[in-house]
Amino acid sequence: MTPVETAQAVERLLLEAEVERFFSAEAELLDERRFEDWLDLLHGDIRYWMPIARNVRFDQPQLEYTRQHSEANWFDEGKDTLKKRVAQLLGGDHWAEEPRSRTTHLVANVRIASVDSDEITAKSRFVVCAYRLEHDVDLFLGKRVDVLRREQGALKVLRRAIYLDQSVLLSRNLTTFF
Amino acid sequence: MNSADLIDLEAGTLSREAFSSDEIFKREVERVFVPAWNFVGHTSQLQRSGDFFLSRCGLEPVIVARDNAGAINVLLNSCRHRGMPVCRYDEGNAFSFICSYHGWSYELDGALTGVPKLRERYQGRLEREKWGLVRARVSVFYGSIWATFDETARSFEDYLGGDMQFYLRSLLQGPDGEDDGYEVIGGIVKWQVPCNWKFGAENFAGDHYHGYSHISVERLSIGLSGKTSRHNFAAVKIPRQPMSVADPRRGHTIRASVYKELGPYDPQAGSSEEVNAYYRKCHEERQRRLGDKARLLIHGGVIFPNTHFNSAGRTTIGFWLPLSASRTEVWRWLFVPRKAPSIVKDTLRDYYLRYAGPAGMVEQDDMENWTAAQRGTESPIARKYPFNYQLAMGIERRARPDEWLGEEVIITEDVAEHNQRAFYAHWARCIAGEP
Repeated sequence: MTPVETAQAVERLLLEAEVERFFSAEAELLDERRFEDWLDLLHGDIRYWMPIARNVRFDQPQLEYTRQHSEANWFDEGKDTLKKRVAQLLGGDHWAEEPRSRTTHLVANVRIASVDSDEITAKSRFVVCAYRLEHDVDLFLGKRVDVLRREQGALKVLRRAIYLDQSVLLSRNLTTFF
Repeated sequence: MNSADLIDLEAGTLSREAFSSDEIFKREVERVFVPAWNFVGHTSQLQRSGDFFLSRCGLEPVIVARDNAGAINVLLNSCRHRGMPVCRYDEGNAFSFICSYHGWSYELDGALTGVPKLRERYQGRLEREKWGLVRARVSVFYGSIWATFDETARSFEDYLGGDMQFYLRSLLQGPDGEDDGYEVIGGIVKWQVPCNWKFGAENFAGDHYHGYSHISVERLSIGLSGKTSRHNFAAVKIPRQPMSVADPRRGHTIRASVYKELGPYDPQAGSSEEVNAYYRKCHEERQRRLGDKARLLIHGGVIFPNTHFNSAGRTTIGFWLPLSASRTEVWRWLFVPRKAPSIVKDTLRDYYLRYAGPAGMVEQDDMENWTAAQRGTESPIARKYPFNYQLAMGIERRARPDEWLGEEVIITEDVAEHNQRAFYAHWARCIAGEP
């Protein structure tokens, strides 16, 4: 490796480490139910999108996930709606989360897909497990594509695509964030 | 078993066994679901010949397909040879359906055409015309598609009854009052709830009473009205009379309101100028088209047994699909006015997504409560104590403020469990095989 290549590789490693740390810290905020702090990590223009998976023919993969902005999705919203969800969660009267579920968010296989000036696209896998009341277990696995933007030095989530591997949702509710 | 073992209409009580007994579940599959007409989808999902989607007709998996002659077919998705589903794609466009096991193939109308080794090993004796996919009877009602496999069932129009034809037709009218005014947003929302299907059905049938379930969302503003409410109609200033409407002979139920008078459009402060401009035009057009009947606001309801819908600025239709006594799969179609500008469609879609289904801020609390109620039907002592459906019993005002609200239906004003009583009375008669 030339000194320039080495410097580039180190820079890349540092960026990957920063993004991984960012996702871990974010997961911790969710698991510690610090939802308002979590909102602070989201860009004001965030698009938070979880499509519904359909079973389609092998040669029509473009139809597998419902489209953003035009079809039915599990989530397809901006920060205003996310703030309302948090306000609902914080009141103690949102029965689907009262008493609260115990969640663990794991983010794994984090990989930087591209870097474009102040925007970083990162791909990852998630496991979200929510235990609720005495016996209820909800398990969610899937893939995530995040676009992070650096603002005044801090990373913010500008776009989040959450590809849940389930088609029919096997849980009654999606009361956790991904 | 007779219906009195399940329901006591004079006391206003229903046995908890209705929700947890496997024996009752088996009976209701045979006696409630098999003879029923079922909502299976909407014509806007089948624009071209060959378009198809998978659905359920009662408990049966079906293919809903438009054939080359333009007709809509509802076919049992089960190969006549070994029962395999012949289509395993949720939707698409096809010339034919081919079973992946032995390769039998079927046309869009269910006709069996391709049979490997037809000549050599069936010696040409297989009567293909007798081995097509099982076809359901189909009825298209203002764009909605209904089906039944029961050859002895009465026509869909008779099954609905005259009054419910009026209400269902109204539900399917666009905001401007035009018939068949809606189209489906791509993607059917499907999820599972660990409770009996009837918790969903009775809630949609007539529960004007469960405001407490939704207090967490009522202190926010999630509709278009700009008020702290989940409903768009919170913007309307004219007083309205809520009602429960039930067809006691058929078990269908509607939640609705009637406005005291026709009035001008009240803007929805929570939506844009363009959206308000659209709805203002629709409001005026609807009054011109429907006259006095434009005072009707449908909130939702149930076509017996398990087709459910929401309305009042939020048109969704779906079904509760019973998987067992204690588990239900929900399918939900979301509708937007066909002729609305895209900003209106987008606004409504965003509203539906934050309102309905497992990610919906409103329905999440319903699902939580139904799941918990289910547990209350399962333990041996708890299940001996019947549920209470006495709300507004005996003091019902069988008001019929306007003749056009129906001939055969019974209408009860204000909060009541009248619709639930009518739904369960009909259900219990079906279970017991009583006429």
